[in-house]
Amino acid sequence: MAEFLRAYLTVAVFAGAAGLLVALLSTLGWAVRPSRPSRQKSIAYESGVDPAGTDFGQSQVRYYIFALLFVLFDVEAVYIFPWALRLEGYGVFGLVEMGVFIVILALGLVYAWRKGVLRWV
Amino acid sequence: MPPVFDTPAIDYHAFAPEIAMVVTLVVLLFVDLVFEERGRWATATVAGIGLLASVVPVLSLAVDGADRSLFGGAYVVDNFALVLKALFLVAGYVTVLISTDYIADGDYYEGEYYFMLVSSLLGMTVMASARDLISIFVALEMLSIPAYLLAGWRKRDLRGNEASLKYYLLGVFASAVMLYGMSLVFGVSGSTLLVDINQAISRGVDSVPLVTVGIVFIVVGFAFKVSAVPFHTWAPDTYQGAPTPITAFLSVASKAAGFAALVQIVFIGFLGREDVWAPMFWVLAALTMTVGNLIALRQTNLVRLLAYSSVAQAGFMLAPFAVAADIPADRGGVGAATGAVVTYLLIYAGMNLGAFAVVMAVARKTRSAEISAYGGLFAYAPGLAVLMGVFVFSLAGIPPLAGWYAKFVVFKTLLDAGTVAAVTLAVVAVVNSVIALFYYASVARQMIMEPAPEAETARVRVPGSLGAALGICAVATLAFGAFPGLIAQLGDLALLGVLP
Repeated sequence: MAEFLRAYLTVAVFAGAAGLLVALLSTLGWAVRPSRPSRQKSIAYESGVDPAGTDFGQSQVRYYIFALLFVLFDVEAVYIFPWALRLEGYGVFGLVEMGVFIVILALGLVYAWRKGVLRWV
Repeated sequence: MPPVFDTPAIDYHAFAPEIAMVVTLVVLLFVDLVFEERGRWATATVAGIGLLASVVPVLSLAVDGADRSLFGGAYVVDNFALVLKALFLVAGYVTVLISTDYIADGDYYEGEYYFMLVSSLLGMTVMASARDLISIFVALEMLSIPAYLLAGWRKRDLRGNEASLKYYLLGVFASAVMLYGMSLVFGVSGSTLLVDINQAISRGVDSVPLVTVGIVFIVVGFAFKVSAVPFHTWAPDTYQGAPTPITAFLSVASKAAGFAALVQIVFIGFLGREDVWAPMFWVLAALTMTVGNLIALRQTNLVRLLAYSSVAQAGFMLAPFAVAADIPADRGGVGAATGAVVTYLLIYAGMNLGAFAVVMAVARKTRSAEISAYGGLFAYAPGLAVLMGVFVFSLAGIPPLAGWYAKFVVFKTLLDAGTVAAVTLAVVAVVNSVIALFYYASVARQMIMEPAPEAETARVRVPGSLGAALGICAVATLAFGAFPGLIAQLGDLALLGVLP
C-alpha cells in the first residue's frame, strides 16, 4: 500500500509542480519588469494597428466555409508534393493509392458544390 | 540515389470490413447529392445494407481464423477485434433501424446523418484493431468527431446545442489529457507499439514516476469516453439533448469503443504495471457503480434514467480491470477479464438499444420521455410494455434474461481473483445490483400499476423498422439469457491474439 501511495504521490507532485511553475514565473515577471503604465500600452493589441470598433465584431460565416474548403486542398497538397517527387519509385501502387485519396477528397468538393457552398451570394 | 521503395504487402482481406464501409460512405454521399430530395428515403436503406455487407468480411475473416498483423503490428485482426467489429456493425445497423422514421419525420438532414453515423462506426471498427498509440488516437478522433456533430443534430433545439457543446468540449479536453499521457509513455518506452511499450515499461524502469503519470493520464482520457465517475458529467445532458437514436448509439457503440481501447492499452501495453492501474480501476469501478445508481434513483425522465443507468453499467464493465492481474492462470488469467468485459458489452448492447427503441416507440405517441407518461402503457400497449419490462429487468440482471449472465461473468472474475480487494468490489457490486433493481422496477410499476395520464389510451403505432430493431434486441436479450453458452463462446473466443 505504501508503495502504491508513493507511486501516486508522483501524480500529485506533478500537478503541484505545474501550478507552482505558473505562480513562480508570473511572480518573477511581476518582480523583475519595470511598471510604467500609459494609455497607449493599455489598449488592446491588434497587430500593431489601433483597434477599431467594439469588442463584438461579426464577420461573414462564408469566410469560415471557404477556410474549411481551403483545408481540403491544403491537406491534399501536403501528401501530393512528397508523392510527386518520388512518383516513379512508387510505381502503380503509389498511383492507385493516391488516386483513391484524391477521389475521396474530391468528393468533399463535389459535396460543397452541390450544396451551393461555392456560390458567393 | 534515393532508397528503393518496396511496395508494402497489404492484406486486403484484413481490411475488407473497413473498405466496405468506405464504399458505403461514398455511395451514401452520391445518393444524397445526385437524387437530392427524391432520394432522401434511400439513404437509410443504403446505410443499412452497407453495414450488413460489412459484416460479411468480418464473418469470412472469422471462418479463416488466422490472426493477421499489419503495419509492423500496429493493426491486428484477431478474434477480439472481429467480435468487437461485429458488435459495432450490428449495433450500427440497429441504430439505423431506429433512426429511419425519427430522422425522416423530423425533417433533419438525412443524407448527412447516415454519413456521419457510418463514419463514426468506421472509426470504431478501426479502434477494435488498433494496437499502436497513434492508430488508437486516430481511431478515437474518427469515431468522436462525427459523434459530436450527431449529438447536436437538432440544431434549433437549445438542449441539442448544449448536448453537442458539452460532449465536444469535454471530449477534446479528454483527448488532450490522453495525448499528454501518450507522449510521456512514448518518451519512456521509445515506441508507440503497445507490445514494445509493454517490454519497455514492465522491466524495472528507472523512470517509474513518468510511467505512473503517463498511465494515469491515458486511463483518465478513456474514463471520459466510457463516462466513468468522476468523469461522467457530460453524459446525462448529452444523452438527454441528443436525438434519441444517437443517445442509444453513444451509450452502446461509443462506450464499447472506449472499452475496446482500454482492453488493448491496459492488457497489452500496461500489463505488468498493475501496481499502477489496478487500484485506479478499483476506485473508478466502485465510484461509477455507486454514484451512477444513486443519481439514477432520483430521475423522473426515462432517458436521463437510462443515461445514469448506463453510467452505472460501465462500472460493472470496469470491475474486471481492477482484478485482471490477480486472476490465477488456471482460471484464465487476463484473458478471463477480457472475456468478461466483451461478454458484458455484447449483452449490454442488446438490452440497452432495446430499451431506447421502446422509449422511441412510446414517444411517437406521448411526445414525452418522462416516466409519468408511461402510466397505463401495459393496458393500451401490452406488447411494448412487456418488451420494456424485458429490457429493464435484463439491465437489472434478473434471470433468465441476458443481463443476468453478464453480471454473473463479472462476479465470477471478481471471485476467481479472490483477493481482499476483489471480494470487496464484489460486495459493492452486489449492493449496487439491489439499488439498481429498485429504479428499474419502478419503471415497470409505472407501466402496470399507474393509470394513463389524461386517459389517453389510443394504440401506439410502431413503424416497421423500429419494430425490427425491437425484435433483434428482444431476441438477443432472451436468447443470450436462456442459452448463455452462445455468448460464453463468443466471450471466450474474444482473446487478444498478440499478447506480450
